[in-house]
Amino acid sequence: MVKRFREIFQQELPFFIGVPALVWQVLFLYVPICYLVFLSVTKVDVDGVAFTLGRYAEFFQVPYLRVLLRSLILATGNAVLCVSVGYPIAYYLAVRAHARSKSLLLMLLMLPFWTNFLVQVYAWFFVFERQGLLNTVLMRLHIIQEPLYILNTTLAIWIIMLYCYLPFAIMPMYAILEKFDVRLLEASYDLGARAWQTFLRITLPLSMSGVMTGFFLVFIPSFGEFVIPGLAGGDKQMFVGSLISHYFLTAGDEYTGATFTCLGALVLATAALTLRYCMNVMIKRVR
Amino acid sequence: MKSIRIENVSKSFEGEQVIENLSLTIPSGEFFALLGPSGSGKTTLLRLIAGFEFADKGAIYLDDQDITRMPINERKINTVFQNYALFPHMNVFENVAYGLRVQGMDKKLIHEKVMRFLGIVNLEKYAHKSVRQLSGGQQQRVALARAIITEPDVLLLDEPLAALDLKLREKMLLELIDLQYELKTTFVYVTHDQFEALTVAGSMAIMNTDGEIEQVGTPKNIYEFPASSFVAKFVGTTNMFSGKFTRAGSYGTVAVDGLGTLHVALPTHQEWLHDGRTVIVSVRPEKVEISKQPLTGFSNCMMGEVKAIVYHGRSTQYNVRLANGAIMSVFRQNEEHFPSDNKVIDYDDPVGLYWQDKNVTLLER
Repeated sequence: MVKRFREIFQQELPFFIGVPALVWQVLFLYVPICYLVFLSVTKVDVDGVAFTLGRYAEFFQVPYLRVLLRSLILATGNAVLCVSVGYPIAYYLAVRAHARSKSLLLMLLMLPFWTNFLVQVYAWFFVFERQGLLNTVLMRLHIIQEPLYILNTTLAIWIIMLYCYLPFAIMPMYAILEKFDVRLLEASYDLGARAWQTFLRITLPLSMSGVMTGFFLVFIPSFGEFVIPGLAGGDKQMFVGSLISHYFLTAGDEYTGATFTCLGALVLATAALTLRYCMNVMIKRVR
Repeated sequence: MKSIRIENVSKSFEGEQVIENLSLTIPSGEFFALLGPSGSGKTTLLRLIAGFEFADKGAIYLDDQDITRMPINERKINTVFQNYALFPHMNVFENVAYGLRVQGMDKKLIHEKVMRFLGIVNLEKYAHKSVRQLSGGQQQRVALARAIITEPDVLLLDEPLAALDLKLREKMLLELIDLQYELKTTFVYVTHDQFEALTVAGSMAIMNTDGEIEQVGTPKNIYEFPASSFVAKFVGTTNMFSGKFTRAGSYGTVAVDGLGTLHVALPTHQEWLHDGRTVIVSVRPEKVEISKQPLTGFSNCMMGEVKAIVYHGRSTQYNVRLANGAIMSVFRQNEEHFPSDNKVIDYDDPVGLYWQDKNVTLLER
């Protein structure tokens, strides 16, 4: 009996090892999501608990749609920026950098993760303040006469978003480019291709999976970001994340919060799938 | 079809000199082989011609045009890479069409030309297959078609058959010869395999481990009349004896320690030959007769004992220990299924080795 049990245990070892993770995933991800969806379609009043889609309908109004659109623009823009700025960095790290400097550069890239996210954001305050680093330097150099007003503007949001999410774009692109066979570049040049032709026809298509991963690793969390718009943007503009946190934390209305969360997730999923489709079409065009 | 002239070219990598002051002319329209052991700098030389690297010193000419500093993509010199370097995200057609597409050629013309060149390498049926689905030999053909479709002045082949099995390699070699004959393009074939070089080359250069050219000539010339013991050893197999030379009329003798005197014919260039000089005698194993019965009419004879027999199929190799303990290899054709008893040679048999003085090469070093 014991022997038989041991046999089963050994055969199914991978399953047993996976159980804790599975339980964790179910308890803390799927159950809360289901609960959230449940909350989003429930109404509680004097008559008791009832099913409703009414709160979804209420959100189809200009101010809310504007919030969704603003978040979409921020997420898309930030993802595009991170990928465009990150690609040359990833390329340099993977293809050009010497083996010795490579590990140092990679460590520098990961260094911000050693500090708290909030600290990273606050650090930018010292740069952008009226008396901050940027203004001091620019004024000392007599490039500007009056201090620039950057903090609490949309520009500050965009800059800090780019800064915080850049490593997420770089890492997957680096991983793909690391495996890239540089001899293909030689073959391309050898056949008479110019540098931009080689990039468009060889390097980019072969690293496109990394670019896509990087894009969505930035795009998806950027959509729900509320810390950076809140701190750096001075909470002047509502984003999806800020509105959700407002419902849950400030207003204490988890029903409306759940509805808007689910709506946001739907919009995000639709947008992500559409973007992916468009990119795939574009890749085929280029080829 | 153009010639390549390399003049006093030097190249070093991170302080290590790979090629120093090398000069070589590759005639126009020739199937030229560059043969050398690994690390002889032959691939570096190829990369200098292709433009992947630039020479530190010296100049490279394509006919009369100086291409020493010309970028890769402007040279009409294409390469077939050792690992083929096919573009994995493109199918066979797209790979072959690449050179024409980047030139901006008309789509219809590209289609015609690609199909024509796929026909040349017998791959029409595979046009829309992914290159990953192809066998090594087929990938090799795609690489070849891709490199010749833009009609380069020179085609460089960097150990192109190294990854193929022997039978396929022999077949591809013959196809390459036909292709070169048809295209009349100058081919430069880099290899460390003497069999490949001897098979394809109209003429060839031998490079040594120091990145120097030891000898340039036709395969036959290099095999039969090697210019140095390096060439004699590297191309084919040979037996070498070192001893003191003495001129004796129209021929010479070489006194070898413990073996006696060898009779040798005088080479065409003999300025360096003078009495008392130490020389090396190279005797190819197939030029030697092995026999248990004494033979007459040979200018050289040596006795020994058979110490190893290696059966190769078309021939058998006998390693014979001579009086001074040195081993001499001899090849004998396996002419008969059932050789008579006096022809059968066994281990430890005492045998005589016989060869003619004119079938021997005298080497300076």
